[in-house]
Amino acid sequence: MVSDAARTILHVDMDAFFVSVEVADRPELRGRPVIVGGTGPRGVVAAASYEARASGVHSAQPMAVARRRCPHAVILDGRHDRYRAVSAEIMGIFGEATPLVEPISLDEAFLDVTGARRRIGSGREIAMNIRAEVARRTRLTCSVGIAPNKFLAKLASESAKPRVSPSGPRPGAGIVEVDPDRIREFLHPLPVGAVWGVGPSTLAKLQRLGVATVGDLARLPPETLERSLGGAAGSHLAALAHGRDDRPVVADRAVRSISHEVTFPVDVVDPTRLWSELLRLADAVAARARAQGVEGRTVQLKLRWGDFTTVTRSHTAASATADGTGIAARGRRLLDELDVTAGVRLIGIGLSQLEEAAAHTEQLSLLDAPAPAELTRTLDEIKRRFGDSSIRRGRHAGESQRTPGADLWGPNARPD
Amino acid sequence: MRFRCERDVLVDGLSTAGRAVSSRGGAQPVLAGIRMILQGDRLELTGSDLELTISVELTVAGDTDGEIVIPSRLALDIVKALEPGAVTIDTEGEEARITGGRSQFSLHLIPAEEYPPLVAPTGESLTIGAAEFAEGLRQVVPAASTDDSRPILTGVLLAREGTGLRLVSTDSYRLAVRDLPGTSVLAEGQKVLVPSRALTEVARALQSASELTLLLGERDASFLIDGVRLSTRLIEGEFPNYRGLIPQSQPNRLTVGRTALIDALRRVKLMAREATPVRLTMSADGLELVAITQDVGQAHEQLDAQYEGTDLTVAFNPDYLMNGLDVTPGDEVSIETVDTLKPALLRSLETTDFLYLLMPVRVS
Repeated sequence: MVSDAARTILHVDMDAFFVSVEVADRPELRGRPVIVGGTGPRGVVAAASYEARASGVHSAQPMAVARRRCPHAVILDGRHDRYRAVSAEIMGIFGEATPLVEPISLDEAFLDVTGARRRIGSGREIAMNIRAEVARRTRLTCSVGIAPNKFLAKLASESAKPRVSPSGPRPGAGIVEVDPDRIREFLHPLPVGAVWGVGPSTLAKLQRLGVATVGDLARLPPETLERSLGGAAGSHLAALAHGRDDRPVVADRAVRSISHEVTFPVDVVDPTRLWSELLRLADAVAARARAQGVEGRTVQLKLRWGDFTTVTRSHTAASATADGTGIAARGRRLLDELDVTAGVRLIGIGLSQLEEAAAHTEQLSLLDAPAPAELTRTLDEIKRRFGDSSIRRGRHAGESQRTPGADLWGPNARPD
Repeated sequence: MRFRCERDVLVDGLSTAGRAVSSRGGAQPVLAGIRMILQGDRLELTGSDLELTISVELTVAGDTDGEIVIPSRLALDIVKALEPGAVTIDTEGEEARITGGRSQFSLHLIPAEEYPPLVAPTGESLTIGAAEFAEGLRQVVPAASTDDSRPILTGVLLAREGTGLRLVSTDSYRLAVRDLPGTSVLAEGQKVLVPSRALTEVARALQSASELTLLLGERDASFLIDGVRLSTRLIEGEFPNYRGLIPQSQPNRLTVGRTALIDALRRVKLMAREATPVRLTMSADGLELVAITQDVGQAHEQLDAQYEGTDLTVAFNPDYLMNGLDVTPGDEVSIETVDTLKPALLRSLETTDFLYLLMPVRVS
């Protein structure tokens, strides 16, 4: 492992990504409060412009609350395909600086530019190049943190972000670099809640120990921390408090899971409707898996009831699959074990334990018929050429055209 | 309650009864405990997760009768750790004192009145030979499914076949069928589905026994083996029609030494990683085993074998194949096949009491 002092890690995070993409495409929105998210009755905020944030709107907030807080906001359904395309362009820009790019989501990534320093220049010069290129090609802004490791780089990019103030958004520094010799000065004044892995319950425990800042945490005897939080978590947190983090930047991190979920406008109690929805979601998951050349052994079912309690159930089979019917059938067995009479608000299905489908092997079953591979290939080809809604299962005929993934943030007001 | 007992006797009893105690801790905390009932010199230890109940009867030096529920895992760990020799357990209020050598532990008890009433075994009692039944279990239990999403397949079917008993299990990838011709415990047409987990414990208890008594109730079955009683709920539902799965005649037939194939498979299997299968290429020249794992490497081995039929390559999960070979009796086995996608039938040349049907892995 390369020691921290030798590494230069960048964390690049797009500023209000989804909203900024919309504003870049529609300049008339510039300077106005803009919210992207689910526009239907149960939608949630996916992203808010800094103008909207000034009114107290934030992501994951119910859209109804956001509307109340910011009545003049322009509220938009998300355009995932567009975000994905812009994201690909941005990741491409990162890739020009270093092959070691680890995307965290559509709009943020870690870059290990240790090797690129000699070729391109210092971490700061690389960061300036990236910001300039991103702005030139996408008209978007991003914030960059530079530090000897991922943990500090992420904190640095956070402190480089634009800020919200009552008088409107104030631009941030854009780039913040943590000098390896001045880690303590940067890190210790930060509130302890800024540390990765400190959620509400850990935070409460730490507050009981009188810990408010990262500095307090660093000064705590390691034994106290381990006793309070458990061995592994305690020592992990102690390392972070001293600014130590040796996790590598891993390029091409394989996709771990593929999932789709849908929130219903009204709670569903009809098992037939749930099954139909499950099948649609499973088909979409399977299609994505096949497109990526992977298949999975574990199927996970997620249900959220009207009162927001959520359960997940998973099942791992001996053989991997990327077949919609197969995934749905496994999901259905999980669904059948749950009592849905209370009404289901959200249903989702996911595929994980993914493996390369290249050398395809399938353990055949004595009892279950194998997936008709020919049919699946043909359907994929039709959808690829004529679009996702060009062909569908008989049981989904006559329903409104909805694409799984389009309503990631709750149902939209109108069918898309 | 107060009694004295040899440490090793108590360790055996606690660990046997403890095997029915759910490690998952279930809904009822009392089930994380072992119930001890002392009457005179007779100590009964019971562990249960309501599906499976194991009771062990020990003879101890009893002093004061009583009934307690003691935390299973902790009690076992404590008693196991004591110096060899006599162990005394006596209770005072909510605590049990465990004394052995110069060590003394006191342990909080679980209120005994919370222990659920367990159904006493019912039904006709039948006695069968331990050795044959144990061998049958060893052959079929591994082929039962461990996947709780298909509960029926986690059971072993006990059915009357002719005048004997038949044991059947399948996890849908393979099917194991064992006949015990001399063992007539079931009535004509009677069949029950016993959870394989319970039968694993039965097989363990049978290691040192010569006989077992079986009691079949409406919804449960009990096995009495040398002072150990295992009671299990039966699985309800219809077992798949396994008879329809067994092919009556297969065009291709390979005959090979069982040990030679096991040894070769064990070697070749080293290169069958990440769920890649082992391929069996069968021809008049004999049998070739091949395993290829991308980016890792490959293994080949040639074996002497007799083969009648068309040249064929079939791929299997090596663990499933190994499993079948391990439990098939005799020196020589036959593998009968139709094609690369149909089930292969594994049998001993010496006996028709056992068959193992295995679905191939499709490679594309």
